[in-house]
Amino acid sequence: MTGTLEATTRTKERWKSRDVWCGLAGAVSLALAVGAASTVAVPVNSDLGLVAVLPFPFWVGVLLLNVAFVVALRGDAAGPARRPVMIWLTVVLVLVLFGTAAFATDVPRGEIAFRHLGIADALSHTQGIDPDIDGYFNWPGFFALLATVLQATGLDPVALALWAPVLNMGLWLAALAVLTGYLTRDPRRRWLALWLFCLGNWHDQDYLSPQAFGFFLHLVVIALLLGPLAARAPQFHGFRRADLAAWWRGRSPAEPRPGYRVGALVITLLLIIVIGASHQLTPFMLLIGVTALTLSGRVWPSRLPLITIVVLSLWLAYPASIPFRAPTPGRRWAGGGDRGERPRPRARDRRARARGAGPGRSHPCALWGSPPSAPGATGAEGVSISGWYCSPSPHCCSSPPRCTAGRCSSASHCSRCPSSRCRRARSCFPRTAANFLRSAANPPRQQTPLLPAPWANGLPRALTCVLLSVLTVTGRFGNARYDVFTHDEIDAVAAMQRLAPPGSAIISAAHPTPWRSEAYLDHRSRTIDDLCRSDLSTARCGPLVYDYARHNAAGAVLLITRSSEASLVLQGVPGAGGFSELEKWLSAQNGVELMFSNVDARVYRVTP
Amino acid sequence: MNIGSVSRLTLALGLSAVALSLITLVGLPTPLQTIAAIAVLILLPGHALARLTQVTDLALAALLVLALGLAALTAVSTAMFYLAVWSWQACIVSMGVITVLACMARARQEATT
Repeated sequence: MTGTLEATTRTKERWKSRDVWCGLAGAVSLALAVGAASTVAVPVNSDLGLVAVLPFPFWVGVLLLNVAFVVALRGDAAGPARRPVMIWLTVVLVLVLFGTAAFATDVPRGEIAFRHLGIADALSHTQGIDPDIDGYFNWPGFFALLATVLQATGLDPVALALWAPVLNMGLWLAALAVLTGYLTRDPRRRWLALWLFCLGNWHDQDYLSPQAFGFFLHLVVIALLLGPLAARAPQFHGFRRADLAAWWRGRSPAEPRPGYRVGALVITLLLIIVIGASHQLTPFMLLIGVTALTLSGRVWPSRLPLITIVVLSLWLAYPASIPFRAPTPGRRWAGGGDRGERPRPRARDRRARARGAGPGRSHPCALWGSPPSAPGATGAEGVSISGWYCSPSPHCCSSPPRCTAGRCSSASHCSRCPSSRCRRARSCFPRTAANFLRSAANPPRQQTPLLPAPWANGLPRALTCVLLSVLTVTGRFGNARYDVFTHDEIDAVAAMQRLAPPGSAIISAAHPTPWRSEAYLDHRSRTIDDLCRSDLSTARCGPLVYDYARHNAAGAVLLITRSSEASLVLQGVPGAGGFSELEKWLSAQNGVELMFSNVDARVYRVTP
Repeated sequence: MNIGSVSRLTLALGLSAVALSLITLVGLPTPLQTIAAIAVLILLPGHALARLTQVTDLALAALLVLALGLAALTAVSTAMFYLAVWSWQACIVSMGVITVLACMARARQEATT
């Protein structure tokens, strides 16, 4: 796997006209794509999402960019175009594919980035961690980082969330570039791997999230394992005990400097701890990757899987499960309670929690068996094992608990994660253990280049890349009708947060709603979709929503937005043709008053 | 330890960590504050810690600067939250101290070699 080809490099050569033209083509592509995307008007009123409303210059830019990349990759007999040109083209691709929505609107897509900002905001106000709140506070590492960075830098949180996909993709590519450097010295393969990584990332998990941060650290750990911590395995002779023992004892460190190996091991341990403190699923994916690499004889520190298990178990046993006793000043409990006062749980709740059934105290292991609505349980990262790279970010598909029988268990991601992708993720792995061990233990020392120097048939490859680009834009921004918000909706959310009294419930029509970025702990939040489940008819749903709002001690504020209505329609929820009848019924009830209204949203106040 | 044997980069890292920490704590206009805070929270500690290893590969070294800086800041801020002593100013001071300590360790390495 780490056998190297004769390296071809253009670094010391002078610039050639082809390099200059490719660089210029990248600049033109960027200008075309940015210019075209910035003309898109929101809301996007198409079931196909952004792909239906992006003007043709955007697609011309995408076509030009991919052709320029293929030409630059082909280069000449000495290798591909110069490194700055390849880096530039990759940067342009990231901006074009992952910054498209940011060029079209200055509001981050989706609901979850807003929620994550709210959690960081809540942390910076409470200045302590209470794992009783919800699952996010059992793995607070990323949110602690986010709170510190936002407070110290003075960055606009919304701007950070808006550009997070571009930032995360840049971090992943940097890690992947180093990682692929340990797999092959052929620059063509490395650049093509990075390009395909971008084109294959359809999962839209690169928003401001713990799993995106964890995936970056995950890639760095894999890079360290394949680099300074790598081992050279001897010839593999079979599965007999003596052969296996001889093979295992015959391993030797690839890195001759012990001090360097120790330093890399310490860094790896730090990264494993931080990953374990930041996300629920990433450590398990990391454990699988580390174990596979270790068992294949490619990693020198053989106890690393054991150490990972210990770190993971300790985190699950203590910070993620045991209530923290430190004071959490300034916290206001959802659903009522005075500031700074922690209500005693009722006896029934205490008994339920003792059984592990408490709402905020369920053991993290329960998350694996819990419904997909478990907060934050939507991410797990891809694993690079012995040269097979299984999807850039298969957050649901390559994670066993999230993908069964060809179906993803996360409803919110099913549309982005077809069963064929699950099958593809599984097919990345070698078919038998014997083949796996043989291939890992006996890497071909003299590899035949996959990409010959005069890279023939450039046109089909360029067209393939263009097709993948179109599919990427389609897959990532296909839900733009309901996950791209308008300024009117943001104004309505701000009005809702302003109008909601402390301790009141906030009710939205459905997910996604760009809410909870402030006062995360101050309100209980529900959606009409959750309250009414299968039947959104006014006759059944109206009383349910009204009773829920009226029975809350501080009342409730109800928000109806265009995007949440569109979400229900696209999900095919029965009776989701519109909330006009429901709103009319609610308006006629006692204590319900329309407090805010604009083109895309209405806010009602329900007094108790 | 012979101060003359310490590299300029090590000295520059340590001194800039101290200076930028103080400047960030005092406060700057927004774009400058952002740059200074990112430097003192992520880049300088990451660089100082990465230099403690004997990494020679430039690409890996650059990656480790980012990864170590982010990981160290995550560890420090999470620990502060669990101890209920968090403030962004305390994080700035802690990361500055980590950078200086890493530079001192590096200086000892350089003096012995």
